[in-house]
Amino acid sequence: MADSISSVCNLAILDKLSDGSIEEILESYNGFCAATDTLLNGAGDLSVGPQFVSHVHGLCKHGLESLLRDHFLGALERTFEKNGALKFWRHFEAYDDVSVEEEVFYNALEEISLEKQYQEKCLLILVHALQSYNHGSHDSNEYRVELFAKYQMSVSSVLMATLPRNFPEILHWYFKGRLEELSTIMGGDFPHDDDDDDDDKDDMDLDDKCKVSYRSGQMEIDECYPQGRFLDNNKLVSNIGKVVRDLRSLGFTSMTEDAYASAIFLFLKAKVHDLAGDDYRISVLESIKGWIQAVPLQFLHALLAYLGDSVSYDSVSSGLKSPLASCPSTFYPGIDTPSEGLVRWQLRLEYFAYETLQDLRITKLFEIIVDYPDSSPAIEDLKQCLEYTGQHSKLVESFISALRYRLLTAGASTNDILHQYVSTIKALRTIDPAGVFLEAVGEPIRDYLRGRKDTIKCIVTMLTDGTGGNPNVSGNTGDSLLEELNRDEENQENAGLDDDFHTDDKQAWINASRWEPDPVEADPLKGSRNRRKVDILGMIVGIIGSKDQLVNEYRVMLAEKLLNKSDYDIDTEIRTLELLKIHFGESSMQKCEIMLNDLIDSKRTNGNIKATITQTSQAGSELGDNGVSMDVFDATIISSNFWPQIQDESLNVPGPVDQLLSDYAKRFNEIKTPRKLLWKKSLGTVKLELQFEDRAVQFVVAPVHAAIIMQFQDQTSWTSKNLAAAIGVPTDILNRRINFWISKGILAESLGADSEDHVFTLMEGMVDSGKNGGTNGSIEDLIVADEEGESSVASVEDQLRKEMTVYEKFILGMLTNFGSMALDRIHNTLKMFCIADPPYDKTLQQLQSFLTGLVSEEKLELRDGMYFLKK
Amino acid sequence: MVWDFVFAGEEDESQHLAWHAVASWTWDAQDETCGICRMAFDGCCPDCKLPGDDCPLIWGACNHAFHLHCILKWVNSQTSQAHCPMCRREWQFKG
Repeated sequence: MADSISSVCNLAILDKLSDGSIEEILESYNGFCAATDTLLNGAGDLSVGPQFVSHVHGLCKHGLESLLRDHFLGALERTFEKNGALKFWRHFEAYDDVSVEEEVFYNALEEISLEKQYQEKCLLILVHALQSYNHGSHDSNEYRVELFAKYQMSVSSVLMATLPRNFPEILHWYFKGRLEELSTIMGGDFPHDDDDDDDDKDDMDLDDKCKVSYRSGQMEIDECYPQGRFLDNNKLVSNIGKVVRDLRSLGFTSMTEDAYASAIFLFLKAKVHDLAGDDYRISVLESIKGWIQAVPLQFLHALLAYLGDSVSYDSVSSGLKSPLASCPSTFYPGIDTPSEGLVRWQLRLEYFAYETLQDLRITKLFEIIVDYPDSSPAIEDLKQCLEYTGQHSKLVESFISALRYRLLTAGASTNDILHQYVSTIKALRTIDPAGVFLEAVGEPIRDYLRGRKDTIKCIVTMLTDGTGGNPNVSGNTGDSLLEELNRDEENQENAGLDDDFHTDDKQAWINASRWEPDPVEADPLKGSRNRRKVDILGMIVGIIGSKDQLVNEYRVMLAEKLLNKSDYDIDTEIRTLELLKIHFGESSMQKCEIMLNDLIDSKRTNGNIKATITQTSQAGSELGDNGVSMDVFDATIISSNFWPQIQDESLNVPGPVDQLLSDYAKRFNEIKTPRKLLWKKSLGTVKLELQFEDRAVQFVVAPVHAAIIMQFQDQTSWTSKNLAAAIGVPTDILNRRINFWISKGILAESLGADSEDHVFTLMEGMVDSGKNGGTNGSIEDLIVADEEGESSVASVEDQLRKEMTVYEKFILGMLTNFGSMALDRIHNTLKMFCIADPPYDKTLQQLQSFLTGLVSEEKLELRDGMYFLKK
Repeated sequence: MVWDFVFAGEEDESQHLAWHAVASWTWDAQDETCGICRMAFDGCCPDCKLPGDDCPLIWGACNHAFHLHCILKWVNSQTSQAHCPMCRREWQFKG
């Protein structure tokens, strides 16, 4: 038991101590303590050194080496706390905020470093003393290192324990200040900085590359130039380097690194925001990269070099090079080979810059896409950023929420939404050719558009309405979307005829080696990459669901357009139809083709009839006083089976015109026996001129308007009942149509004897016509009658309703038998039983809207998704 | 008030009135659809793309009308004398 104790504490040694030796120990210890105090507080006076050494030796003799060591270190720590740390912090106490003056900062660091150096000297004396006693029984170097490490630890723990809260911020602020200083110095040299003029921003990209290469070229020739610049920076950088080194030696290594790293990152962020801004017409990525090379990397290079970290690891660094720095030699003017640390920094900085720019662009993606294609440089930037960071999902999320918030609202017009949709497709196609993200982004837009009634109409208008209408000028701004799409497609086909060459082994190999996997976000249900090839027209048709609906809508619009033509000029329509045929196939456009063909035939027949009829009529001199010459008459003859349903209203055209119609029809019958003409008297256009005392006004109106105004030729005042009877239209329609002339100030309406019966009177001139109240009588106005939202062609909905009425009996019969039925059951039953003439080919939605109509007509009732017969 | 409503015919310049009318044509036949192909006369036979002159009607002596192409096919498919598909009388093209 005693043995074991003695082995630990070696208490036996106490017994051996004689009084003399105790005294000796005490004496030496007191001397040692005193010497230590004088040494440490001696303000640079090392004269007590030898005395100190002898005391140390004295104590060591008695095996008290560890005691004296601990004592000395404790004393060092206390002194450092008193002389170093407290004084050091006192420098910063005066500053409430973090903006410490540079000088103060340097002084404080200088002072504490001096103190520390002195203490290290003292420590060295102790080490030497111990070593001289031991004479190599220890591994001297190891021993010293151990002691210094202990000392270093105590220093940093003292400082950390007394650390003021704002010190990290002070550091941060300091580095930020220095970095800005450096940036301004470099700024004079760096081609793109704040002082850059706006007007050369347009060709910034090109400009930048030129200047960089030019600069590097110059470096190789003239070595003085970078040296000169470096001399400027050298002082600054060495100051910073010194600060960093001092801070490191005080144990603030990580804090310092944090501080300058965060300063650099913040600075970089500010720079990116500054450069990127809200202008999307220029690419900023290159200039940002250039700036990273010019400022922060130079700074870091100098710093690392100063700190001695910049050892060249040629073989290692080449493997770690930033993938974006294609030719690093260009980018390191004046620097031989980037150290590994520097390359790491560069990668970090570039990644950060990419991420910052990407975030910036993503939040503004909506605006960028609104500006597309002007903003394509910004899209290009974003694409590169995303390739590097891979944060596509961020883009999708943010863009979808922007869409929901800003585009998919009741306030946005369908046209705008469609245009944005197309721009989105184009822009995202650049970023992600596989269309994976487009799928995700497009879905909300499509869903929303499906809920809008005018979507199909808008799509068709957008597709076919080139406002320019001049097919000879390629690429004019008025091109319809369809033409543009077609051009795109041709370009694509010309660029890569890949699909046709699969048989070619070599080509197949090339294709195979070019294969890239889908992004991880890809939905495996959506099929492979090839099938997902982005097709704008396909995506637009996808909104509606089927091309048939689109074609149908187009047919209605085409009919409307053709019926209102007063000449037979259909070149643009033919062109559009040809383009549509490419996309939708010949067979689905068959009816439209017949419609256009009718126009061409009409032109020929019209000429033929007029040529033959004038001969006969002139011979017979049929023209009465009020007769109208066949010269001014044209007709469009349609194959009504292939046109959309046309809303024909009864109308009595004026006598002379009626005469023309029957002559014309007779002639047609003669030429084309056994075919005959059926006039659609309410359709067509009439160009007429009203001559007043002082003026003549031209109008282009519908036949019904012409019929109305012609009645006033003989009789200047009509009651509405009489007028309606005369032109053969119901009174309510007359009242609606006649508003056109009233609004032009040509007719006036007044209440007649009967309150139901209005009186219309011809006005003397157009006295109070707001629009044409000109004073000059010779003005001839050409006024086109607006259609007042009335179209001569039945809309798609009207047609549908008409087609569905066939099934009304079926449905009512079914409901009588079954009592109640759900929508899809009705749908399936109709599909099952109505297979012949006309087969039931409607969609569930169409059926639903028809049933809703029946409900509102109070024929049916809808409860809990079941339809009942209304009792 | 003196005002004039002038038709082009009375004036020297002819463009004061221009009437562009719309009509549809139809075959002057008693029936609506072709008895052979069951397509409308105003449409065209299944083999044709364009109606009208390109796909005319033809009348037989019995006064039944068919698409020309339809009846020709019928007549050519008969080995002996062809009969009108509607009334079974001997088929003769109406002069």
